[in-house]
Amino acid sequence: MDTTPVTAPGNDILVAEEVTKVFPGVIANDAVNLNVRRGEIHCLLGENGAGKTTLADILYGVYRPDDGRVLLNGEPLDLHSPRDAIEAGIGMVHQHFELVPPMSVIENVVIGTGAKQWLDLSEARRRLEEFFADYDVEIDPDAEVGRLSVGEQQWVEIFKTLYFGVEILILDEPTAVLTPQGVDELFRILRQMRDEGLTIILITHKLREVIALSDRVTVLRRGEVVGTVNTADVEQRDLARMMVGRDVLMQADKAQHDTGEVVLKIDDIHLASDTGRGSLKGLSLDVRGGEILGIAGVSGNGQNALFDAVVGVRHPEQGTIRIADADTTHAPPHKVALQGVASVPGDRIAQGLMMDFSVKENLILGNQRARRFARAGVLNRAEIDRFADESIEHFEIKTPSASQTTSTLSGGNLQKIIMARELSGEPRLIIVHQPTRGLDIAASEYVRRRLIEERDRGVAVLLMSEDLDEIFQLSDRIAVIYDGRIDYVAEPEATSLEEIGLYMAGVVEAAGAAP
Amino acid sequence: MSDSGTSQQADEAAGSAGGSPPRGRDLRTALMQPDGWRLERRLEVRPTYELYATVIALAITAVLIGLLVLLVGVSPFDAFSSLYEGAFGDRESALETLVQSTPLILTGLAAAVAFRAGVWNIGGQGQFIAGAIGTFFVYDMFPGLPAPLLIVAMLVGAAVFGAIWATVASVLLVRYNTNEILTTVMLNFVIDYFLSWLLSGVWQASNTPYSQTERMAENTYLPRFFDDSRLHWGFAIALIAAAFVHFMMRRTSMGFEFRAIGVNKRAASYKGINTAVSIVAVMAVSGALAGLAGAGELLGLHHRINFEFGEQQIGFTGIIIALVARLHPVGVIAVAIAFAGLVNGATQMQISTGIPAALVTVIEGVALVLVLVAAVACRYRLRRGAVHADESAEGSE
Ligand SMILES: Nc1ncnc2c1ncn2[C@@H]1O[C@H](COP(=O)(O)OP(=O)(O)OP(=O)(O)O)[C@@H](O)[C@H]1O
Ligand SMILES: [Mg+2]
Repeated sequence: MDTTPVTAPGNDILVAEEVTKVFPGVIANDAVNLNVRRGEIHCLLGENGAGKTTLADILYGVYRPDDGRVLLNGEPLDLHSPRDAIEAGIGMVHQHFELVPPMSVIENVVIGTGAKQWLDLSEARRRLEEFFADYDVEIDPDAEVGRLSVGEQQWVEIFKTLYFGVEILILDEPTAVLTPQGVDELFRILRQMRDEGLTIILITHKLREVIALSDRVTVLRRGEVVGTVNTADVEQRDLARMMVGRDVLMQADKAQHDTGEVVLKIDDIHLASDTGRGSLKGLSLDVRGGEILGIAGVSGNGQNALFDAVVGVRHPEQGTIRIADADTTHAPPHKVALQGVASVPGDRIAQGLMMDFSVKENLILGNQRARRFARAGVLNRAEIDRFADESIEHFEIKTPSASQTTSTLSGGNLQKIIMARELSGEPRLIIVHQPTRGLDIAASEYVRRRLIEERDRGVAVLLMSEDLDEIFQLSDRIAVIYDGRIDYVAEPEATSLEEIGLYMAGVVEAAGAAP
Repeated sequence: MSDSGTSQQADEAAGSAGGSPPRGRDLRTALMQPDGWRLERRLEVRPTYELYATVIALAITAVLIGLLVLLVGVSPFDAFSSLYEGAFGDRESALETLVQSTPLILTGLAAAVAFRAGVWNIGGQGQFIAGAIGTFFVYDMFPGLPAPLLIVAMLVGAAVFGAIWATVASVLLVRYNTNEILTTVMLNFVIDYFLSWLLSGVWQASNTPYSQTERMAENTYLPRFFDDSRLHWGFAIALIAAAFVHFMMRRTSMGFEFRAIGVNKRAASYKGINTAVSIVAVMAVSGALAGLAGAGELLGLHHRINFEFGEQQIGFTGIIIALVARLHPVGVIAVAIAFAGLVNGATQMQISTGIPAALVTVIEGVALVLVLVAAVACRYRLRRGAVHADESAEGSE
């Protein structure tokens, strides 16, 4: 892959000197030095909680450094807000989006550009269409943002930033929400943008992406810079070692294993979603105890509806869902939970966490009545503390204390809270949607290993992921969801990435391989 | 780090950036018009900011009220000092302030509990009346009960009636998704008329033309703490209720669920919290607290229900108190006592300065608005927009 920019990498454009940021109980950035050159793609790499987002937020004016300074083109840059950053030519797309869902694409783009521009949507439309044409992206400028797929929303975020005419674009884990095709598309466009002179700072946990895309990499560990290297000089393994400080086992082993009874049986369910997108149209599947059924698919093909139907948040209009011996087709979530179902939703903030609660409260969310944590309706604080400390240790959740407000944790650590909580009980069925989204490699491997352990204990695992490597690594059977149906199921040995990819894209009609 | 000349520096830095992408600079220049002062969201909101903001809001309230008083031609100092004298100046008035605060603490707690769970119970007033009705109902039904038992039964009756009245709204909410703000407000009217009907019908005292009940027997009076004050056990009940609310919200599974639906109802239901049950339960608790306020007033002070019973709008004031206290039970006690002090001191102020006691309502209103504004405002900061003096020169590089 040719990663040499057309315009030779220039001088330092953005430099952080000894930047330090302290939050109560954590040094998020400890005398960080970073130099980003004009026209390069510079990756920031590091474990969850290493301080990547914090550093990016400082460059983008969200936080002010407690010490040290930031230089833009050699001049000290004193930012007080993202708006200052944008004025200085620095834009950022955050890990968790900041769009206004009920508004249109175009309104989201012009929002915040100042009152005078509000009325002149035609000019904005022209420019936006120009962008879309330039980069071959198909999005309707009048579409309501809430109805776009996550990948498309990401495009809106990126174009919104470009619309301001920034010269430096910071992307915080943009690929965590993308399908493999989406990642390719993003990378194609990022290269094009770089070649046109844009400087890009990219945060990601996926080493393959770092190698494929970046010119240079800066690795952070516990708030400190471990080093900056030319991507061409290193391999994935080196980067992993820099990040973690030791060699990382890159594969979770999975032994052959006998499966048990069918735990989850879904029969021909139909569920219309109100946006019309992602409806289920006669989906059937079954998962046995002791197996992991991986569901591959481009997001927006019914994964959310499937998740909601299984956990009981929405109910199918037609068809049945059985968990073990119980018909849960119309059971509400609290009844479904009684069947021993653990669930990790796709949208961790909206569906999985109480951001205003403490970490320990989130760790017991849903189990607040479990005998372990409550006696006669009174919470057992000692036990909750014990459990929280245990979870924080096992999952290496980076937080100053178990009483910390959840919203202050880093993205990956939020995901760890959910995983720790859901893997803590003794479920019969685990349904996980993007379980390793935003997790660093060590944490991802830990979660994968735990999922395999659960499977080995006889738990049925329904895994939905857009990460095909993950699907192949974990699944005992792979199913492809496309347009609300599953018409293809195969064992990993009997299929290939390419074949799955074709079914995911809906290119191939299912032929005889049905469940 | 110095704050001065920063936007200037940023500008120069940006301006010196040659060779930027073609569509960059001109557009940014066009979009980033200087627009003077502007509000920006603060990313770090420390808890102490909120406390400061509340204190500042109350201070501004005092200043504004002072100006208003000045406008009427009275020295604010005289007004405030007579207000204070009347409220807390001596033992008698201080105790009387506590008397007045008793029902306010309870209705304040009632609102705080519901609001924490994200349920907008505006029906504290109606539930207060329902509580009084429940009290009298038990009194009427079980005339033979020995006094201590009767008092307990009446308090339970008040709580149950208040809870039932709140449940009407919560059931409508969970079954038919009716807006609880509207239903609770409407139910306030309904119970008012129901009370009038009772007072002029089955419960009307014999040989009197007034719409009122018989005076209740002396053995139903809540005991008083002191001989020289009306302060009755209701105040202790209110304090116990505040402790109970705090305990329930922080230390019980049910309170955990209440807070959860208040913070993120969607995630709560994904995690198997039965949101309908929680809503009904929290409304019942809320209604019960307001109902107890009704019992306290009836058994501690009035000893009969008449058409004036609900006139002080205890239920509505409770909403304001809960909001000013930012929904914290301890804050509710403090704010309720302060509000009671205002009411109590206003009479003194009217006598010695001629300012109408109704000023208290203004104070409450201003305080509410400012505290709410402060709650939002501490998430923002005000700053001066960057001035682009040399924008036009930039393109020529
Ligand atoms: N507003 C805040 N208040 C307190 N602590 C914070 C705050 N923001 C971040 N932190 C802490 O600072 C550390 C670094 O967080 P940061 O978000 O920069 O990590 P990250 O490298 O982006 O991790 P991830 O890969 O999980 O997104 C974490 O320990 C986090 O808990
Ligand atoms: Mg991050």
